[in-house]
Amino acid sequence: MTAHRVFVANRGEIAVRILDACARLGVETVLGVSAADVETLGARRADRTVVLGPARSTDSYLSIPAVVHAAVATGCTALHPGYGFLSEQPELARLCAENGIIFIGPTAEQLEALGDKLRARELAASLGVPLAPGGEADTLAEAQALAEQIGYPVLIKAAHGGGGRGMKLVEASEELEHAWSVASSEAESAFGDGTVFLERYIRDAKHIEVQVIGDTHGHRVHLGERECSVQRRYQKVIEEAPCAALSAENRRLLHESALRIADALDYISLGTVEFLYDVQRERLSFLEVNPRVQVEHPVTEAVTGVDLVREQLLIAFGEQLSFAQADVTVSGHAIECRITAQDPDADFQPSPGRVIRWRPPATGGIRVDSHIYEGYLFPPYYDALMGKLIAFGNDRDDAVSRVQQALARFEIAGPRTNLPLLQAITGHPDFAANTVTTHWLEGMIKEAVHG
Amino acid sequence: MDIDFEELAIFVETLENTDFTHFLYEKGDLRIEVRRAGATEIPSPTPTAVVPRPAAASPASPDSPGSPPSPSPSPSPESSLSPSDPPASAPLAPVATEADVVVTAPLLGTVYLAPKPGEAPFVEIGSTVLAESSLCIVEVMKLMNTVHAGTGGVISAIHVRDGELVEHGQALFSIRPDAAV
Repeated sequence: MTAHRVFVANRGEIAVRILDACARLGVETVLGVSAADVETLGARRADRTVVLGPARSTDSYLSIPAVVHAAVATGCTALHPGYGFLSEQPELARLCAENGIIFIGPTAEQLEALGDKLRARELAASLGVPLAPGGEADTLAEAQALAEQIGYPVLIKAAHGGGGRGMKLVEASEELEHAWSVASSEAESAFGDGTVFLERYIRDAKHIEVQVIGDTHGHRVHLGERECSVQRRYQKVIEEAPCAALSAENRRLLHESALRIADALDYISLGTVEFLYDVQRERLSFLEVNPRVQVEHPVTEAVTGVDLVREQLLIAFGEQLSFAQADVTVSGHAIECRITAQDPDADFQPSPGRVIRWRPPATGGIRVDSHIYEGYLFPPYYDALMGKLIAFGNDRDDAVSRVQQALARFEIAGPRTNLPLLQAITGHPDFAANTVTTHWLEGMIKEAVHG
Repeated sequence: MDIDFEELAIFVETLENTDFTHFLYEKGDLRIEVRRAGATEIPSPTPTAVVPRPAAASPASPDSPGSPPSPSPSPSPESSLSPSDPPASAPLAPVATEADVVVTAPLLGTVYLAPKPGEAPFVEIGSTVLAESSLCIVEVMKLMNTVHAGTGGVISAIHVRDGELVEHGQALFSIRPDAAV
């Protein structure tokens, strides 16, 4: 392996995760930070840190020219975009390629194909991957006809949205006209493209996703599935692996479908193929592909024993995948809780500030991915994620009891956090019974507030 | 007394990698004083050289474009050259002090001290500038961004070298404002 130097174009816990993976490979690192992030754990761990711009992320973490210029000028050979920020921008991948820097992720073309949710949907349809009924409509009349055919309620989705952004729920036909025009103009202003499409709305669904990975030598494997049904406003709060609610038959269909999409794209790097699982109908439907490392990747690492970020780096450097599909086994169960500096008692208001106490539990079967340390000033400029607590057990029940114990022992003072909510969720009978669907948490929070 | 300015430049460059804040060398009538600009306040990687003897005030700038900014021997404000007009502050040449305004990089990029390769630099130590004067260019992905002085006065320090990567907020120049001269 030639000597590589990796530019890390991200912050927070994922920057630390990537820096650590590089350090274990003996790869030098340069971290690009905003002026607000000079004193972070990542800045301490990186071999070199450069200030990309001011605190505002549009002028620092989201500035493609600044990021690529910094990577080139510091002699980096590769760039890891993490998740969020620029991670799914084809423009970044393209500019890296033009400057001889390896983009640690899929190709610009793959990012483009997957960024267009309508194109991704059409690809899934062409491959026979299960899909919620729906499609594109050019005029309102077409949309109305399609909605009647699908049956209400329907979702209007922005082609360039994703992750819950740019969606409108339409319960009845008289609402369609208004929702259609609003969704289209919102999509135009938010994503620069007003294309929208229709899909049947699945009310009672589990969110299930498959981890895939592909190298540049044509090898592609999946690493089983994760369930991420505990969500609030399409933001995942708790994730686990595997999904304990799937039949063997549906699990096989899920994995095959994910691989079929990855194969059709000649997919390179880490990717996640997301599905909804209609609990009543016991039916899967394709949602979208996330072409990057996911926040919740550690639960897959826990049950497969594969270091996903390490594999992602090695693949980017041109190596072959170190394992084949037959080598992938899923054993045990893992649950991840996202700890955020948000006050659940004040409508999840962000709660930045000085972290006075940060004592993660030191106990068996626990992993904590975080950039927090005592004395750290949690900045108000970025997302509220403080860290991730991952519990591993022999089976789901074991993992649940471990995560409950770990949450009870986790001491945080300074910012208000969602720890009490995480305790309430993991202690809830519905969570224990594994009947949670994507709308469960909102209902549970309402109940907690009003009851 | 003779000073080889190229030698002096190498000497300063060598010092740059050490952890000093103030260096004084005296031999005969030669006195070389090197200070790291605003060592306590301003994070400045480049030292400022001062040769505070009128004898050392050679008129020509030894700078060749593209080379690291050699310490300018010429204390530019005319008044401070005259022994009969001693200014209140001790050093004759402008040394970056806390009163000086530090011009920082508005964005990350490659800094160019001259308008074009091979041309004379925009400013040197001792140059008088207006608020609207151009001091350097910061290039990011082939986009040229001109950095203006923002303050009228005299350049008292240049903290960067031509062609180096500058980070957002990094000190580029120090300017002794008109009012402070």
